[in-house]
Amino acid sequence: MSPANQDSKNVTSSLVNQSFVHKGYAPLSMGVVAVIIGVAILFIPWIANDFSFTRVSQVLIMMTLLLGLGIVTGTAGMIALCQMTFAAASAWVIEWLEVNVGPNAFGEASFFIYLIVGAVVATIIGIVVGLPALRLRGVNLAVVTLSLAFAFDLTIVYFGFPANKANVQITRPFGIGSSSAKEDMFPITILIILVVAIVAVALVYMQRSRWGSSWKMVAYSERGTASAGTSVQVAKLTAFAVSAFVGGIGGGLYELVYQQARPEAFGPYVSIVLYVLATLVGAYLVDMALFGGILSVAIPFILTRLKLPLFWGDIFFGVASIQGLTTGSNLGEDIRRGFRKGKRAKQAEAIAATAAVETHKEIDSVPIPKGTGKPLLVVENLTVAFGAVKANSDVTLTVTEGTIFGLIGPNGAGKSTFIDAVSGVLPHHTGSVVLDGVKLDKLSPSRIARTGLRRTYQQDRVPETLTVGAYLKFIARGKASRADIDEILEFFGCPTYYTPLSVVDVGTRRLIEVAAGVASKPKLLMLDEPAAGLDHEQHIAFGERLRQVPTKYGVTLLIIEHDLDLVRSVTTELTVLNFGEVLASGSQEEVLSNKEVLKAYMGETEMM
Amino acid sequence: MNLVPQIFAGLTTGSFFAIIGVLLTLMAQLTRVVNFSQVAFGMFGGFVGLWLESGRNNMPVWLGAIVAIIVTAGLSAIVGWIIATWLPNAQMAARSAVTVSSLLILVSTGAVLFGASHNNYKPLLPSVPITITLGDTDLIVTYNMIALVLLSLAVVIVMQIVLKKTMFGVRLRAISDRQGAAELLGVNVKMLNVGIWAVSGAIISIAISFLPSTISNDYISFSLLIIPGAAAALVGGFKNMWLALVGGLVIGVLQNIIASNPNPTIAGLKDWVVFILILVFLLWNQRKEVWDVAR
Repeated sequence: MSPANQDSKNVTSSLVNQSFVHKGYAPLSMGVVAVIIGVAILFIPWIANDFSFTRVSQVLIMMTLLLGLGIVTGTAGMIALCQMTFAAASAWVIEWLEVNVGPNAFGEASFFIYLIVGAVVATIIGIVVGLPALRLRGVNLAVVTLSLAFAFDLTIVYFGFPANKANVQITRPFGIGSSSAKEDMFPITILIILVVAIVAVALVYMQRSRWGSSWKMVAYSERGTASAGTSVQVAKLTAFAVSAFVGGIGGGLYELVYQQARPEAFGPYVSIVLYVLATLVGAYLVDMALFGGILSVAIPFILTRLKLPLFWGDIFFGVASIQGLTTGSNLGEDIRRGFRKGKRAKQAEAIAATAAVETHKEIDSVPIPKGTGKPLLVVENLTVAFGAVKANSDVTLTVTEGTIFGLIGPNGAGKSTFIDAVSGVLPHHTGSVVLDGVKLDKLSPSRIARTGLRRTYQQDRVPETLTVGAYLKFIARGKASRADIDEILEFFGCPTYYTPLSVVDVGTRRLIEVAAGVASKPKLLMLDEPAAGLDHEQHIAFGERLRQVPTKYGVTLLIIEHDLDLVRSVTTELTVLNFGEVLASGSQEEVLSNKEVLKAYMGETEMM
Repeated sequence: MNLVPQIFAGLTTGSFFAIIGVLLTLMAQLTRVVNFSQVAFGMFGGFVGLWLESGRNNMPVWLGAIVAIIVTAGLSAIVGWIIATWLPNAQMAARSAVTVSSLLILVSTGAVLFGASHNNYKPLLPSVPITITLGDTDLIVTYNMIALVLLSLAVVIVMQIVLKKTMFGVRLRAISDRQGAAELLGVNVKMLNVGIWAVSGAIISIAISFLPSTISNDYISFSLLIIPGAAAALVGGFKNMWLALVGGLVIGVLQNIIASNPNPTIAGLKDWVVFILILVFLLWNQRKEVWDVAR
């Protein structure tokens, strides 16, 4: 490497490392800021009157409902139209407990026990509804949740809320009085601020956890999620359940303020408004959920002052959300993008420069791995038919442990279909697939991934909403420590741990996908054209790295590749597919000198 | 208890749900949208028509109905155009989300323009019932019912013929399968999309003008008749129009049978029919797992 090159590398990589330091206290400080803002609003003289505490509480209740909804609609990308039903269910349970178990039955803080019970009941409803709705793709959840909201609302209208029927009010905790005057609403507002802050901080941490990664992943690609060993249904269901729980908390906070629920407050129309508002502001972001809450209270406040119908507010929300939806964005993301504009471009440049240097870097050359001789993947008579077309017909092959196995063939030969079938995303195939003695045929894609067979895709399945590190951590499923991840990223010349994937170019994303596959330490990793998008030198450097993978990480590789140079430089054994059938199989030298193979590759004329 | 009269009476709402279900299926298949504002379009157009018929405007009912159809088709086409223009390659959920927003806009605009109370409904068809005696059972048939049942059947049959037998239908199916490829072949995907939206808007408006005045005409609850319609579409998996038709009729009939139960608690369950039916259907349908776009 030339000194100049070395220099530029140092500069760029230090830039990259500087840009993406870990902000460990961010969620906590955000929670604190939220509390400060909440308190500050109360002491701005011109809006602070007897109602101002109630108004702040309203904002925070809406914020809670939006935060919960944001997980489903923003993070996991689904349509849910029954957030108010979760709130209503929880409010109903709290009132029922108040009436039937009694106020303060468990001491002064009984309300909070009732609140948790209410939220848990809402969660259970969420799971019961979500289980059937989330299994299939599409907008089933929207249909199911809307019909639930409708039916639940009519039932609540019919039977009424328990407190209203028993003519009692919810007893506030810690002996706080039941009036809406300042002296009672002040402590109530403080309590609500505390609850909302806890919810917000918990959600921020959750967004960064495995669950959070799985929600972002499932919004981006269901196949990608399943191939990472995470059940698509579980990912969606956890998102919906958490959303329902937070919705239940919102319903409970409503009881804290109003002490008696009215059915009108929880109807399907309100749920629809809430959904539209959530998509408009980007409610998965804590600050934007707060902003949404402020909007939902401030706009009707202004309209009332102007003596205009309140429906104008909903018209505004609808129009603004269509504007956001059609640009694929929301207020929160737009604001963030505005702040980052210049910085992001510089970061992307720096990453591209580092990646170019890193991926060209030569590393110690090792010979093509020989393997242990033990058969790892045994595929027999695999046939995949799409109607009358056989994409794979009687494909039989064996991958030896510790080798790099090449699967080549012209376009349309059925290579990717083979990987799809083996990894379980094509359920209708015949024949048998056995990995290290375990039959994979009847297993779901996520089970297959957990059994030790991982894959990458031809098109990138890397969600922009994650960081490089969070993505690797999610894919690795606990198989790689932080140090392992850093080491693997460096080995493949990928950007560092805290780099957002949104600033990484497509070619480098493919490398990150391969690095993530290796980090998950599978028995077999299948790579579908991993080097597409790399230039020739990068190809060679990539080949050098691949050759080390079986011995260095104990991962056997199966690789689909068109670049015969790369195939020649890394593979131990080869199988050639043509029109879905095995054309040739054997050691690399044997296969590449086979006349039939050459003919399939070069065409008849060039052979003559 | 003889259920035949109840079954018969349920056919009116049932065939209305069926029409919604069939149109939702058609749109989901051809434009990749579950149109939550389908009924709201029709409601809005209908109120424009009613407003022209009432008060000083005093337009004849049939002319009001025609205006309603045109307004509905136009509104529907505008939303279709927005989705086709700005979200041509988005996922179904993102495209459908726009229709939730337009549902909100239509309902709230309706409330602002036409006030909270609803106008007197002058039905297009005479509401004189005809009694048919079948053995010892009296069946009550209305013109509304006949018109709606015929319309639902006609919609399915015509759509099936157009889609399966004509060159135009082949084009329509082509744009839904591979939009990019159809564009390369010189098919004007956007205009076809907008056309489908306009046609489905017109059909829902016709169906609404055939409804008897007993059906709720309050903005929100009327617009939410999309729910039983969507349930009907779900019976056909948003793919099969015949199953959507059957689904709609079954929901209408079941609701009517349950609602006529003398026990008020059981009658109250009528509102849960759709929800329970959806859940049962989804559970049954769970056997197969479907994956997103190939590769």
